[in-house]
Amino acid sequence: MAQSEQVGIIGKGIVIKGNLTGGGDLVIEGRVEGQIALKNHLTIESTGNVQADIQADELTINGEASGNIDASSKVAINASAKVAGDIKAPRVVIEDGAVFNGSIEMEVKLPEDV
Amino acid sequence: MATNKEIAGSAAGATVIGPTITINGKLSGDEDLTVRGRVEGEVTLTKTLFLEVSGVVKANVSVKNAVISGVVVGNIRATESVELTKEGRMVGDIAAPRVILVDGASFRGRIEMGDASVSRAAGDRVGRPARVSARPSAPPRPPPPPRAEARGMANSKSTVTPILSKMESKSPPVPPALAGAGKRKVVVRKRER
Amino acid sequence: MIEREAEHMANTVIGSSIVIDGEISGEEDLVVQGTVKGKISLKESLFVEGSGIVEADIQTQNVEVAGKVTGNINASQKVELKSDCRVVGDIRAPRILIADGASFKGNVDMDAKGR
Repeated sequence: MAQSEQVGIIGKGIVIKGNLTGGGDLVIEGRVEGQIALKNHLTIESTGNVQADIQADELTINGEASGNIDASSKVAINASAKVAGDIKAPRVVIEDGAVFNGSIEMEVKLPEDV
Repeated sequence: MATNKEIAGSAAGATVIGPTITINGKLSGDEDLTVRGRVEGEVTLTKTLFLEVSGVVKANVSVKNAVISGVVVGNIRATESVELTKEGRMVGDIAAPRVILVDGASFRGRIEMGDASVSRAAGDRVGRPARVSARPSAPPRPPPPPRAEARGMANSKSTVTPILSKMESKSPPVPPALAGAGKRKVVVRKRER
Repeated sequence: MIEREAEHMANTVIGSSIVIDGEISGEEDLVVQGTVKGKISLKESLFVEGSGIVEADIQTQNVEVAGKVTGNINASQKVELKSDCRVVGDIRAPRILIADGASFKGNVDMDAKGR
């Protein structure tokens, strides 16, 4: 854990419309509409609702997200999440109970004879 | 030679396609299917498809559940669930109310779970489809019971007084006779006007 | 051959409710308890069990039929028709065994050119 990075928290009652960028980790418990570009870990908590295109290193979703997601390491859509949009990431995990509608683009290595 | 027609026990109703077998065509059935070889074409099952690590399915698949540890090129439509395990690789679309992608699986395509009210109602982990008889217990939204059909009554919430006052002129103290439409709040002996 | 509960040891078993319309090929034994229409081509043995229905041309090493086969059978080693089976089609194999009670209609060629 990089202690030098701060963790931002957008609380439950907060609504942000606009662009969010940053180098630290971010936890969203409220609502964000617009664009998000983070260099690190974005967590959307179960009360969070993000209607935005998201770019981050790693994304953990427990709440609602709608928009295109571009992650450089991993996207985890957990059981309480509801996600709609296109996801591009090397690793994507969908837990039992999650709701997802959209496309996922991971690298798929197929054997030659397929 | 005693040859059982029905192979009672494990083999009955458990179809396995071995690793060196290739089937090119349409496959359908009412039992679980385990594929270790190759199936190209179409697969339609009323039960579960288990695609093992050595298996390849290049087909459109229509099943109840699918557990994919091999390679799928094609679309999967499942009435209950689709799970890609960590060795699973798939290119194609998935349409199912529950979809699980385990860390390590690779997938490229679309996933449509709809509003997946089934998964929401389930809540607890159901685990492997073979054991799933988790029927969607809670239906999503109970339809609002139609009310207020009677006599041009506005609705149950609004005051019933105006009409009642008319009825009450008949002077039966018994409300139910009035509210023929089965309203919740039967009555209110309100002020007569 | 050892008769076990599973009747035949094979990796591949097409269960009784399965219907395959197409071609099956492979290098292992195949047990058919369901229905196969099309073509079967194996390097090993084909066992069509009592509930099995095969409407296909068959090309394998050995064939043992206890169910129904409609199609030509071409085996490089042996064909065995057990009692209660029904076979309609031509058989070509170096060795053929037809049990009492089997029902067979077709030509037999034991000239054994095999495959």
